[in-house]
Amino acid sequence: MAAKRHVIVGGGTAAINAITSIREFDQGASDIVLVAEERPYSRMVLPYYLGKRISRSHVWTLSPDRLAALGVTTQIGRRATALDTAQQRVTLDNGETVDYDDLLIATGSSAVRAPVPGADLPGVHSFWTLEQADGLIAEVKAGSEVVLVGAGFISFTILNSLVKLGVRLTVIELAPTILPRMIDPNGAAIVTRWLEQHGVTVQTGVRLNAIEEVAGRKRLVLDGGGELSADVVIMATGIRPNLGWLEGAGLEMGRGILVDDHMRTSAPNVYAAGDVAEAFDRVTGQRALHAIEPAAMEHGRIAGANMAGVDRAHRGTVLMNIVDVLDLEIASFGLWDDADAESVAVEKPSQWAYRRLLWHGQGEAMTGAIIIGISEHLWATNDVGILKGLVQDGQPMGAWKRAMMDNPWELKRPFVATGHVGRLLQETVLGRPSTPADEVNAARWVSPEAAALAAQTEV
Amino acid sequence: MKVLHIEPEKCTGCLRCEVACSYVQSGEFNPSKSVIRVSAFERGHTSFSPYTCFQCAEGWCMTACPVEAIDISAVGAKEVQDDQCVGCKLCTLACPYGTIFYDPEREKAFKCNLCGGDPQCAHACPTQAITWIEDFTQDWTGAFAAQRSAADLARIGATNGR
Ligand SMILES: Cc1cc2nc3c(=O)[nH]c(=O)nc-3n(C[C@H](O)[C@H](O)[C@H](O)COP(=O)(O)OP(=O)(O)OC[C@H]3O[C@@H](n4cnc5c(N)ncnc54)[C@H](O)[C@@H]3O)c2cc1C
Repeated sequence: MAAKRHVIVGGGTAAINAITSIREFDQGASDIVLVAEERPYSRMVLPYYLGKRISRSHVWTLSPDRLAALGVTTQIGRRATALDTAQQRVTLDNGETVDYDDLLIATGSSAVRAPVPGADLPGVHSFWTLEQADGLIAEVKAGSEVVLVGAGFISFTILNSLVKLGVRLTVIELAPTILPRMIDPNGAAIVTRWLEQHGVTVQTGVRLNAIEEVAGRKRLVLDGGGELSADVVIMATGIRPNLGWLEGAGLEMGRGILVDDHMRTSAPNVYAAGDVAEAFDRVTGQRALHAIEPAAMEHGRIAGANMAGVDRAHRGTVLMNIVDVLDLEIASFGLWDDADAESVAVEKPSQWAYRRLLWHGQGEAMTGAIIIGISEHLWATNDVGILKGLVQDGQPMGAWKRAMMDNPWELKRPFVATGHVGRLLQETVLGRPSTPADEVNAARWVSPEAAALAAQTEV
Repeated sequence: MKVLHIEPEKCTGCLRCEVACSYVQSGEFNPSKSVIRVSAFERGHTSFSPYTCFQCAEGWCMTACPVEAIDISAVGAKEVQDDQCVGCKLCTLACPYGTIFYDPEREKAFKCNLCGGDPQCAHACPTQAITWIEDFTQDWTGAFAAQRSAADLARIGATNGR
């Protein structure tokens, strides 16, 4: 019998995790073909490359040696252009086809620019791929005047690096507050003040109408007649999942590809993971398009296990983000923006500290949180991770809820006293202890789980 | 496998573990750089317990890392490789116990690495509240915390009419 052939399209976080997960269970008993437009690298470390904290070579993930050790055949530099789910076949941009026994779609997302005249002028950048990072790095210098269009999470991941590079920075945002999909207006006000104190100009509620080229510089024309000039413009105005190549494939779609708790799409033997997958959220139990690294990691590992024939269900990803601006840490978890929640918000202005805790539907389980604080203070506590633990575990807090509403600065005692640690210690994503990724290889050994399953299906 | 076994009943809150830990981890006597952290579980600061990484089976920090900067050491510690860590803090977000931190000076994540197999917190503890012995990792403090905080909790409930 020929070995099963897994085809994986995309070479990002979800793909890497799926590959190592398949090998964690089958150690080489199957064929894996990786089709990836770019050589595998981590998008989310690009801000540190921009900020010169790491070298360019630090962004690579699966090296050719690692891929070989994992027993992966590669088609790198190739784009998938079509999917035929009846024939179980993927078409590539050079016209070649690859047949699969099962397929993982992990093509991630792309940056989208605000649809204004001049958005494609030279000197206007996106920051999502390595190529785009290289393009921006070649142009920004200490003293450059930079306008960052959009004050969302991605914008903030590069803001720190830009400031450290010594640029003169202005951030403009259409919404009334910065980080509108990550923190509430109270939190945004604190962060805005912090930025202004550190020499960053912030303008919110501002619509960009056009970008013009004037004597080698850019002029940004704003709604209401305002203008800004810049050497470099960066558009961080949103992302969109890369689904174009799946047109006509007939997969059920929402905002992304709809998947079940095994990361299966509506087509047989087709899985999806990462930014393209509309998968379960841990708190709501509903599908959502999260587009965060931890989702891509969990999706990839679950998809990989199931592709290896080991039945694993995903309990859903906790939506979470963290970013720092000049040593002010900002994080949010779960349903931090829930209109149907009881909530408490507290601030210590002198310490730039802020917290909001939310309890959906007046319930006893904490369902969301926002935390802001100066690095030095925040990391002297256990609170960032504890908020994640509380949201992830989702257990009723009983009388401790009242204690937390009274004093949201004390999280550890309620967390520990309600037995969260014991429950959380039982939980693993794959139902077994994790193996460090760099210890996984293709030694042609089959795990007991996969062997048992193969024996069952052969009968 | 040896684990850091914690018996909160024996903890006096002296913080010697924190001081010893911060010194081996960061070269400074500075409890805020310690990765073992003692807190009070009863009002009036009477019942204390140390709290540090459980070296959990999932290794949420390890699996979250986008650049594979966290490994499992020979003694079973999830360990940050400084030369690999980019300081993105995804691990601090993923860890549901709050036991991995970020050092803004070094721009790296840091956590308990079991001192390479000779944990200094256990040496420093004068009452054997922390010992380094063969066992399974577990929730060392939950029941203790629930019991010692029960009176406080009843008081909070009473003042709020709930
Ligand atoms: C600057 C930046 C900072 C970020 N910071 C954070 C952060 O701090 N926290 C966080 O949670 N998330 C962050 N993210 C988001 C995170 O990187 C993504 O959620 C994650 O990479 C998604 O993984 P993925 O595998 O779904 O897609 P990706 O990692 O984007 O990989 C997709 C892959 O598919 C390939 N591909 C696309 N189309 C095709 C095709 N048709 N054929 C073949 N190959 C194709 C691409 O080349 C790429 O290799 C950041 C992203 C960026 C860009």
